[in-house]
Amino acid sequence: MSIFTPTNQIRLTNVAVVRMKKAGKRFEIACYKNKVMSWRSGAEKDLDEVLQTHTVFVNVSKGQVAKRDDLSSAFGTEDLTEACTQILAKGELQVSDRERQSQLEHMFRDIATIVAEKCVNPETKRPYTVILIERAMKDIHFSVKANKSTKQQALEVIKQLQQSIQIQRAHMRLRFVLPARDGKRLKEKLRPLIKTVENEDFTEQLEMLMVFPVLQVCLIDPGCFRDIDELIRCETKGKGTLEVLSLKDVEEGDEKLE
Amino acid sequence: MGHTSLEKIIALQKKTSCIRNLCILAHVDHGKTTLADSLVASNGIISSRLAGKLRYLDSREDEQIRGITMKSSAISLHYTTGGNEYLINLIDSPGHVDFSSEVSTAVRLCDGAIIVVDAVEGVCPQTQVVLRQAWLENIRPVLVINKIDRLIVELKLTSQEAFTHLQKILEQVNAVTGSLFTSKVLEERAEKDAEAQSSCTENSSADQVYDWSAGLEETDDSDLYFSPDRGNVVFASAIDGWGFRIHQFAEMYSQKMGIRSSVLLKTLWGDFYLNAKAQKIMKGAQSKGKKPLFVQLVLDNIWSMYDAVVTRRDKEKVEKMVTSLGLKVMSRDLRHSDPKVLLSAICSQWLPVSQAVLSMVCEKLPCPAEISAERVEKLMSVGARRFDSLPEKTQELKKESPAVQLPLTQEEISQRRELARQRHAERQAANQSAESPRSADAGGTSTPAGPAGSAVTGKNLTYALCAQTEALSVKAAVEEESKEHFVAFARVYSGIIRKGQKVFVLGPKYNPSLALRLPEGCSVADVLPSIPHMACCTVDRLYLLMGRELEDLDEVPSGNVLGIGGMEEFILKSATISTSPACPPFTPLSFEATPIVRVAVEPKHPSEMPKLVRGMRLLNQADPCAEVLIQETGEHVLVTAGEVHLQRCLDDLRERFAKIEISVSEPIIPFRETVIRPPKMDMVNEDLGKQQKVAVIHQVKEEQMKIPEGVQVDSTGLVTLTTSNKMATVGVRAIPLPEEVTRLLEDNVELIRTMEQFSLFAWEDKTLDINQKILENIQDFKVKLESNLQGHKWRGAVEHIWAFGPRRFGPNILLNNIEGYRRPSVWQCLEREKETERAEIRDFDNSIVSGFQLATLSGPMCEEPLMGVCFSVETWDMKISVPQAQQDSVDEDSQPSEPNNDDQSERSDMHETSSNRSRSRAEAAGGSVDCYGPFSGQLIAAMKDTCRYAFQAKPQRLMAAMYTCEIMATAEVLGRMYAVLSKREGRVLQEEMKEGTDMFIIKAVLPVAESFGFADEIRKRTSGLASPQLVFSHWEVIGSDPFWVPTTEEEYLHFGEKADSANQALKYRNAVRRRKGLYVEEKLVEHAEKQRTLSKNK
Repeated sequence: MSIFTPTNQIRLTNVAVVRMKKAGKRFEIACYKNKVMSWRSGAEKDLDEVLQTHTVFVNVSKGQVAKRDDLSSAFGTEDLTEACTQILAKGELQVSDRERQSQLEHMFRDIATIVAEKCVNPETKRPYTVILIERAMKDIHFSVKANKSTKQQALEVIKQLQQSIQIQRAHMRLRFVLPARDGKRLKEKLRPLIKTVENEDFTEQLEMLMVFPVLQVCLIDPGCFRDIDELIRCETKGKGTLEVLSLKDVEEGDEKLE
Repeated sequence: MGHTSLEKIIALQKKTSCIRNLCILAHVDHGKTTLADSLVASNGIISSRLAGKLRYLDSREDEQIRGITMKSSAISLHYTTGGNEYLINLIDSPGHVDFSSEVSTAVRLCDGAIIVVDAVEGVCPQTQVVLRQAWLENIRPVLVINKIDRLIVELKLTSQEAFTHLQKILEQVNAVTGSLFTSKVLEERAEKDAEAQSSCTENSSADQVYDWSAGLEETDDSDLYFSPDRGNVVFASAIDGWGFRIHQFAEMYSQKMGIRSSVLLKTLWGDFYLNAKAQKIMKGAQSKGKKPLFVQLVLDNIWSMYDAVVTRRDKEKVEKMVTSLGLKVMSRDLRHSDPKVLLSAICSQWLPVSQAVLSMVCEKLPCPAEISAERVEKLMSVGARRFDSLPEKTQELKKESPAVQLPLTQEEISQRRELARQRHAERQAANQSAESPRSADAGGTSTPAGPAGSAVTGKNLTYALCAQTEALSVKAAVEEESKEHFVAFARVYSGIIRKGQKVFVLGPKYNPSLALRLPEGCSVADVLPSIPHMACCTVDRLYLLMGRELEDLDEVPSGNVLGIGGMEEFILKSATISTSPACPPFTPLSFEATPIVRVAVEPKHPSEMPKLVRGMRLLNQADPCAEVLIQETGEHVLVTAGEVHLQRCLDDLRERFAKIEISVSEPIIPFRETVIRPPKMDMVNEDLGKQQKVAVIHQVKEEQMKIPEGVQVDSTGLVTLTTSNKMATVGVRAIPLPEEVTRLLEDNVELIRTMEQFSLFAWEDKTLDINQKILENIQDFKVKLESNLQGHKWRGAVEHIWAFGPRRFGPNILLNNIEGYRRPSVWQCLEREKETERAEIRDFDNSIVSGFQLATLSGPMCEEPLMGVCFSVETWDMKISVPQAQQDSVDEDSQPSEPNNDDQSERSDMHETSSNRSRSRAEAAGGSVDCYGPFSGQLIAAMKDTCRYAFQAKPQRLMAAMYTCEIMATAEVLGRMYAVLSKREGRVLQEEMKEGTDMFIIKAVLPVAESFGFADEIRKRTSGLASPQLVFSHWEVIGSDPFWVPTTEEEYLHFGEKADSANQALKYRNAVRRRKGLYVEEKLVEHAEKQRTLSKNK
């Protein structure tokens, strides 16, 4: 074993540097690893647990402290702590691997939760559990993109999952009342958007009046909702109404397997 | 097969009086299977050398590995004694608590039971349980005190000490039986007293007092107890292969000593000694310090033999003993290095255990024909109960009663007839006198049925057959095809079952009165209309159960235990098979253990879901005590009786039923979110308000973070929010609902659903017919709601209910408190007749409701549904035609008239054809689509957010699901049980002693979140003496605030700045959020300085 000899290199092993450019100057502060993100999210409230020292540097690794004049011109204050908090809040930093990992993990969970909420097993009309979805997502090697919203990614992953397991967006149950005049024409347009029609009612009970309601209860894919909504609004000029009976059509209650 | 041929067994099966159906029951590890081994060995099926080591009846691999029995298995044995040949259907049952359902099944199929007790351990919890089960099923028990060798070899007791020890054990067993007996007598008395009181009030109380005191003495209980001189106790060591009853010794010595064997028999067990001089047997051995007879004549011999063979290995002495006993021991055994081999070689010839046990069984246990009347009545009592409970149906059931008696053997029928008469007589007295000829009829019709039943044997036709099958057991032996085969474990109570016969399979809920509406005389072959819980099928195969093997049979006469194949599609867990549809299903099994351990099961590979579901179905069928269900969350939950049982179920699932990799996890625990009234006290029970706030800084900071810009919150909790296109503003306040109201809403879900449907139809000018009864119920519900919602702030609230949520029928209310907006109330189904002036509905009314539904479906704390929250909408302003920026200034107090004008033109009255309608419509359509998407969507989102903020403006609480937990425990383990309960946040509601026993019944509530592993822990801590039962009961608000931080000085002192002591609600909330992948406020690293500082390149 070699004897430890001091080198002229100082390694900042446990330091996370937060940088910020302001008023044409570069400022840096020295923080503890894995702490900056929790400060930003509000979980960590003790500043001393985040900052190694209440000093603003120009270069942390060289140990060059920022000049007082530069500070006051950039931050409008000479208080170092105040300047540090500003840099902490807005500066850029290299996210540490643990922080990144936990962030991605959270997003992964979140995506799985969204998928589990939106989808059902088409055979049983029951949702899948989050753990199962997570496992399926891992099976298809889904990787989380940190800069895209979880909901967007969830919608993408549903399409990919459909190739490996039996999964389907839970249908929305809608009911529309159409004036009979437009009804026939509209129905043809709606047909491709609708999955199943549960209940159709052509009863023209109010014949003396001008409006003959056509009732339809049907299941649709939630992705088509906007199109249908648009269609009905425009085509009937606001006379047709659309009502969401249930956002997702799933089996309710517990079922005993027999 | 051994030396008993199949033909022999078939011949014996026909002689009912020579059949003994019995099961072996005991605490775990008391030697049931070993005993069964020696019995099996006596038939030559296995070598007697291997008896006790092979555990022949433990046919499963995991049974052999773990060394405990998990599934009951049956075997038919042949035994000859005194010229009589017997067929013994032996069922070996598991002793572990988790498998007590198997014991219930075994007990049901048998007429007698061998209770095995370990001579060292004595009466254990499970011994008590099996004694109780045997008692409840009314079967006769005999006792085997096993492992006496341990007293000699391990404990090194002297024969004298062993005798007192054995006496004690016997006393213990008898005490258990005695307590069962007294509790039954007391129960009967209580019932009788109740009856007496209700029927004749004139009977003075003096009478009853007399009755009560006489209760215990009147009833004779002497034949219940175990006593060696009555011949129902065997002393044995199954592992060494010996066992005896004192009869054997009595006979032996009566010749030697010239004392009558009957005298010896009476004195051999007890406080007697032999006076050698007088050649007399004297009483009082203990007081005189003499050796009791039992020690002198019996135990000493055994002790000296063990001494010679095992301890001292004295060859000469052994040889002397062997010759004096007149035995022949092979020289190979004599030379064997292990003394146990020699010992068992000697003992199995001298006092063979199978001989002792089987002769006792044949003597003391009843044959199937002698089933006690009580037991028959109990079996059929499903019908009887109906008889009592549904007097208006007696007309139908009277017809049925002759049929009810059909499925019994001839011998029983005489008893049955009497019973039926008695019952009818009682009922006549109570009801109408017109029934009396009928009852005679009942007796009369059953008489011909009897001979028919017995004639069957000769004439080759079955008239009535009834077998009860329980617990389909799976036999690996038939597993030639890849498919699993189920074999139903059944017993024929009456008639003959034949291969290829068509039978009715009656489920446990089958109601014979339905079948009786069919034309009379229809047979099984006819095509029948489907009747619930009844199926018709053909008996595919019949098996004789021979432990690991099955033998094909063509027919099985009554009184036998058998296996039936090919029923898997018809029988779920248990069923009654009959050729007559009038037969009532037999009473369901009484399980000592109810399933309580819940786990969620999932396939390792999500694509294997269908396989898992199929496997779970099979498992459910195979195991009477496992429950399988799919929850609303999509979880597949497996409920088992205990951890060992769970393990077995999972192994079965993995290896036999599903054949896939599965993973097991804690089931998801549901929570609810609610708001409460602001608390008056702080966490250290100090009055709030007077105190100084200290650490308020953090809280203020949080508060500001929570609520973004554009939301205005006033001090009373009214939250106002404007849609993103600035066209509509809603103001909502959240109010906690009283507890009673929440409960009322929960209970009346169906009514609310009906009301919802009605208003949906009404909206389209159609009417839904609701029958009068439901209308009354709704009215009732409304009145109750009104009575519960009293006080100033709830004035008129019931009339103003806008909607219920989530899903339109949940326990949350949306109130319409908007001035100048009258919409049809949810109660309109009640006011149909009145037809008051048509209340108008605003446009986008539906969006508000949708927003409310969404908000109640997932709350802000951890996205769990809300419960018991009332959202009162106080303002709702629309500016459709004038999209202006200054809309922000509209606060909750302004009630401008201009939106009202708008609304009038906006109302969605379909009949109205005003000229300006189309104009505003067009405007609405034009304005409805802008850069923020359709307006209805925006309003939904706005409403949802408003509700959430309104919710957050109030003190929020989590609600936990609670189990009620009923625990039976003996007095000595109460303390430890309470410790377990309090560790898991349980609360004891009441505790009372069960009359006539030393058992306590404790009722407690326990959060579902804490219940995982509860059953196991409580069993472990109380050594199995307390057994809990968990049933979901209600939702309960968790007292602690999940967002709580110390604010007052007192709290600050008490809890410190970080409030480190565990906050239950916060713990639950974070667990749920973490599971859902929501943001959890927690630090990645608690202490910055305490991280590892090693860098990668150093």
